[in-house]
Amino acid sequence: MNHITDTPSKPQPTPDADSDIYWSGIQNGKLLLQHCLGCDHRQLYQQAICRACGCDRLEHRTASGRGTVHSFSVVYRAPSLAFKKDIPYAVLLVELEEGPRMISAFVGADPTVVTFEMEVELVCEPEANGLTLPRFRRISS
Amino acid sequence: MVKNTLRGKSAVIGAGISAVGRVPGKSALALAASAAGRAMADAGIQKHQVDGVLCSHAFSSPFHRFSVALSEYLGIQPTFSNTLQVSGATAATMFNIAAAAIVGGLAETILVAGGDSLLTGLTPDLAIRSMTESRDQQYEMPFGIPVANTFAMTAHRHMLEFGTTQEQFAQVAVIHREHARRTPGAQMTLPLTVSDVLNSGYVTTPYHKLDCSLISDGGAAFIVTSAQRAKELGIRKPIYILGGGECYTHEHIFLMPSLTTTGAVQSSAKAYAMAGCTPKDIDVAGVYDCFTGTVIMMLEDLGFCLKGEGGSFVEDGHITYGGTIPCNTHGGLLSFAHSGMPGSLFHFHEVVQQLRGQCGDRQILGAELGLVHSLGAGFATNATTILGTEATL
Repeated sequence: MNHITDTPSKPQPTPDADSDIYWSGIQNGKLLLQHCLGCDHRQLYQQAICRACGCDRLEHRTASGRGTVHSFSVVYRAPSLAFKKDIPYAVLLVELEEGPRMISAFVGADPTVVTFEMEVELVCEPEANGLTLPRFRRISS
Repeated sequence: MVKNTLRGKSAVIGAGISAVGRVPGKSALALAASAAGRAMADAGIQKHQVDGVLCSHAFSSPFHRFSVALSEYLGIQPTFSNTLQVSGATAATMFNIAAAAIVGGLAETILVAGGDSLLTGLTPDLAIRSMTESRDQQYEMPFGIPVANTFAMTAHRHMLEFGTTQEQFAQVAVIHREHARRTPGAQMTLPLTVSDVLNSGYVTTPYHKLDCSLISDGGAAFIVTSAQRAKELGIRKPIYILGGGECYTHEHIFLMPSLTTTGAVQSSAKAYAMAGCTPKDIDVAGVYDCFTGTVIMMLEDLGFCLKGEGGSFVEDGHITYGGTIPCNTHGGLLSFAHSGMPGSLFHFHEVVQQLRGQCGDRQILGAELGLVHSLGAGFATNATTILGTEATL
């Protein structure tokens, strides 16, 4: 009956043809956004055409890595066994300085310090399993 | 501008639900088939009179073509069928598509059905995980997003922008529990207080365990046919499909245009225009209640109250008996049952029963016009259907 089986490993992003460059960037500590040369729209995530005007003249530019917390939720019940050791942890919806938003995780402090509009910056550090994800920490003022 | 094209041309003539809640030993197909049998008996038709089958996808079933598998299970060979998957919004899309297929001549009498066994067919962890994995594997899942998390972030933002409180969220759960206590067969019927909800432990802030809907087994089914066929069959009280609308604003939660205003605005506007009515005209509603805050946001986006006032609207008693728009009088996904995509079919079952005047001590007196709104995937998918009695035609 249970043809879906739970495993203790976390889901790992598998880059596709569109997103390979994004994940290579993250490995090198850079968050790449696509800038449309047709209409100046900036987008995350990577794809073959601009979501605003449909044009395919897109250029990768490195984001500043700074943003604010548009919304967040502190997780106390893990979605799978693999995340149980991490709870509580804060999932962030970060609004980047350049405009696009992204889902990320909060690092560097207790998750309960996260507030709306808090200023955060990118952290790309490999985890114990070798995986590097774009995470954010509080900018200390 | 699409207007009035489906209005009153098809009708629900049969409705049935399986046992719901903890129903061990029944597959998703068995639950859907049980409901289908009851719906056909309710309509007074035989299975060979069904020429179309629409189903929602089932997480616990190995069958990708669930509607085709259900047809075989029932021993019928329909000439119109599909298995739909737009998460929680699937239920209302099935009614909209059934109405369009009937008007367009693709089928005359359609079985709309769904069943799933999320409680006993999957372990709770696997049920949550199966839904979690509907999030994007590159940009969302690696960060450990439970299914509640995307909805929680919208509710959290609603608190910031409009001052909505956790007590108001809790009140939604309390009202749903009160409703379920009047509903035979409901999964959760113990009394509930606001402090019970607030003390039930966080799942993902601002949502506590009791702000979250149930995990259940169960199926529901309906017979939808043309208005003319309903007359020929001598159906005593057909419930007409008056309008439908849908809206899909994003796939990823980070591309949701606004966290606090959803595609329900557009889906319901289309449905109201087609039905030729306004929110004020609706007597009873089924509002998707996967989480408590979801109901508050939908009350606003469906036009039952102003944006930002959903919390106080609930507190003031507007969504229960004696209020302006009684919602989810069966107890909803929060307290009746939530078996995945079929969950919103229970809202349809309740609204159909209300419009037929069959709800006993849950009955909203004089209910003639009903609305059901289904949604899913962090508000990515929204679908609305408006139903009415013959008096509303």
